[in-house]
Amino acid sequence: MQKILGILAVLLSIIPNAYSQNDSSKVINLDEVVITATRTERKLGNIAVPVSIVTSKNIQQAASLRLNDILNEQAGLYITSGFGSGVQMQGLNPDYTLILINGEPLIGRTAGVLDLNRITVGNIQKIEIVKGPSSSLYGSEAMAGVINIITKQPINHQLSAGIRYGTYNTLDANVTTATKFNKLLVQIFSNYYSTDGYSIRPNSVERTVAPIKRYTHQIQLNYPFSNKTKLSILGRYNYENITNKIAVTNTGSTTYSDGIEKHNDYNINPIITHQFNSKTKSALRLYHSRFKSTQDLSTNTPNAYNDYFLQDFYRAENQTDYQINDKNALTIGTGYIVENVRSSRYDNKDNTKQSNVAYGFVQNEFKPSEKLNLIAGLRYDKNSIYASAFSPKLAIHYKSSKKISLNASIGRGFKAPDFRQLYLNFTNTAAGSYSVFGALEAQTQIAQLDKLGQIQSYENDYYKLAALQPEFSTGINIGSKYLISTTTFLDVNIFRNDIENLIDSRLVANYKNGAQIFSYLNVKNAYTQGIELNLTHKINTSITMTSGYQYLETADKDQIDAIKKGTVFTKDANGAARKMNLNEYFGLPNRSKHMANLKFLYEKNDFFINTRAIYRSKWAVSDKDGNGLYNNNDEFAQGFVQLNCSIGKQFNQIAVQTGCDNILNYTDVNNLPNLPGRTYYISFKYQLTKKQKK
Amino acid sequence: MKNSVTKLMSIVLLTVAMVSCKKEDTVLDTTNNGSFKVFTQGNITTVQNLQGDTIIGLNPTTGQPYGSGKFTFFSLSTGQIIANSDSATNKWDLAFRGTTILTNNGTSGPGLGGAYVQVGAFADVTKVSSDSTIKIDNAPNYAITTGSNKGWYVYNGANNLVTPIPGRVLIIRTATGKYAKVEILNYYRGGATPAASASDATKTSEQRYFTFRYTYQSSGSTTF
Repeated sequence: MQKILGILAVLLSIIPNAYSQNDSSKVINLDEVVITATRTERKLGNIAVPVSIVTSKNIQQAASLRLNDILNEQAGLYITSGFGSGVQMQGLNPDYTLILINGEPLIGRTAGVLDLNRITVGNIQKIEIVKGPSSSLYGSEAMAGVINIITKQPINHQLSAGIRYGTYNTLDANVTTATKFNKLLVQIFSNYYSTDGYSIRPNSVERTVAPIKRYTHQIQLNYPFSNKTKLSILGRYNYENITNKIAVTNTGSTTYSDGIEKHNDYNINPIITHQFNSKTKSALRLYHSRFKSTQDLSTNTPNAYNDYFLQDFYRAENQTDYQINDKNALTIGTGYIVENVRSSRYDNKDNTKQSNVAYGFVQNEFKPSEKLNLIAGLRYDKNSIYASAFSPKLAIHYKSSKKISLNASIGRGFKAPDFRQLYLNFTNTAAGSYSVFGALEAQTQIAQLDKLGQIQSYENDYYKLAALQPEFSTGINIGSKYLISTTTFLDVNIFRNDIENLIDSRLVANYKNGAQIFSYLNVKNAYTQGIELNLTHKINTSITMTSGYQYLETADKDQIDAIKKGTVFTKDANGAARKMNLNEYFGLPNRSKHMANLKFLYEKNDFFINTRAIYRSKWAVSDKDGNGLYNNNDEFAQGFVQLNCSIGKQFNQIAVQTGCDNILNYTDVNNLPNLPGRTYYISFKYQLTKKQKK
Repeated sequence: MKNSVTKLMSIVLLTVAMVSCKKEDTVLDTTNNGSFKVFTQGNITTVQNLQGDTIIGLNPTTGQPYGSGKFTFFSLSTGQIIANSDSATNKWDLAFRGTTILTNNGTSGPGLGGAYVQVGAFADVTKVSSDSTIKIDNAPNYAITTGSNKGWYVYNGANNLVTPIPGRVLIIRTATGKYAKVEILNYYRGGATPAASASDATKTSEQRYFTFRYTYQSSGSTTF
């Protein structure tokens, strides 16, 4: 923590001194409305928890295509590779960030990762990013935070179309249209994306990013029954088809296979809102989403591999907002979730696994004065499979002056064990014949195998197998927003997350043939802590600098205890062991201590140049010295800078934009498979409706 | 000025010369990239590239390499490899095959051998704790426990590499009832673990070359 404060002091001292400048355009819009932080509409400047907003203009000027493209450029977020592109927030794995689309959860995670490539940014109005545990409002998964994608609201007589073409035959096309039929407003959006993919590994049959075709269609209907009662229905359908050639080398011979992976998902979300009176508003939200994934590998041997996964999510929820008096605003909600999964990864793909959750939440916002704002919230989730979870949260916001505000919050987050951790029944015949069994399956499966005489021995962890508990975190965020001058704005947040009961896979038994059997246990405790800074500075009327920085420390608490006990060793140059010191400990793998981004935006009339640099310091990838944890003697991926630039100009109703990503052509075959070398693109956008002026 | 430069140069050269002299004194032959060698300095003997069986194939189901099945026998007292024909004698103290290490007693041999694994740095382990902690080989359970993260090594399934766990000292009772402490330094040819990104073929062909160091007490003393 001392280190963090030191860095903070240094950074504060280099902030340009305040100077006055006559400029009507603000450096930051603190009146921007945020919905995700409290589930009620609140101004950005008045929110007690760390929130940031990515606008459609930010997305457009960065020429992003998929959700991971734009999140990669935000402070403190890192896009991970492996099972698609996930997002790491405040040092927590992608499993612990809830991804919402218009307030409803996106489903279809693989190994805990929701692939952000599935989400086009073509119709996004804004992205709200809330950091810190938010389970008091959102329940499971909202441990590190919540990312809410808010799609564009329909505007009558709207027609817009865009097309972009770039390196690797990457094509992206969008059409949006909206029309009013009497009172019914209908908006249709379609996106097509395709790429040939690429391989940055020389002489590789398999492409690191495979050829992909993706379609997204979205329809939104808005119908006001009256001034007080409104109906909206949102429907979204997404399809993707991935083809790849895969080479598996086993026992010296190579098997080539053609892989076809298909993902289908849709969501439908009718919402009725009713304003009872000036003080009471209620919303009934129904939501259904289905995610279906199939993976077929056809090989020249009879061992074809077929994978099938089908997930259904149903939710009904009511939320009522009641303004008790001038000082108190109450939000009460209740809901029920049914989730079904069928998969060939479990015992039998025809057996449906089900989990039901009943929940209720309450939040009160107390405003004793203009300067002070206190929020208290609590949610209770009762699950049919595992223990129930209480998620409280307390937050305070204090505006000490027009320029400075302080906020602090403490909350508890949780993540329910997922179906994979409970039911997985997987034996990898392609590599080593090892097996992984879900916690609910392991003992039965292993007992059966033992009867068949296939088990050689049991590990200690076998006897610790028990019903999995949810993973819990306690998060503290303390921050400040400081309008240093009319041209300079600083946002600082210090965070600490203590995570208990982390689920990890452990060796539980051994087959007679030497292969191993794994299952899941609640075994780990960890923490992440750090500081995030965001500084915006208008250099002059046409140039704005935006910068973000995150310093991060992470640790496995048991590993710290072992180092302190003196039972952890590392090696000197000759391979001889010596005791490891705590200051050599690096923390959790795949996490960078320093991440930063710097953006210069030049904007004049209808022309802009947008240059962004994204930096990530080294991160641990492999335990080289064999001591089971990550320290300075281990293998690291090198730190790197990614530089992106785009230039755009508006000609009447047509916007033309061109750019280059990864200008420095930085690649790392082993550690950054999702970062191709330098790529170029050009895009055209046609818009019939004139830009809405504020 | 010129003078001082010359002076400085000579100091630098002298330092370099001294450093290189020191290097020549060390027992470890860092240029050795594959041959079997034994060096002794003080009471520490270092053994390089002791080949614990050669790999002749891969298990078709598990993909794990397997060898000809023969152990390499080693005597801690003489610092020499012992012929396989002497496997049923007291001449050897340790036998190596893949990641399995035998001691000369129980199901492994006719000697008085035994072992246990002590957590600690090699220099810090100065005493055999007591005879009761010494275990005897009883196949398939050995005194030096086999298996990843159980005895002396850890196997990483992600990159297929075997790494000795730092801070694991093997306390050995030899075939004749004397004591030794052993630290395994590396499992690959030339004492250099291949890179994680190296091919599986390289990882297979370079493995089973033990580099280790030991201190042997010929007096029968239990302190090192």
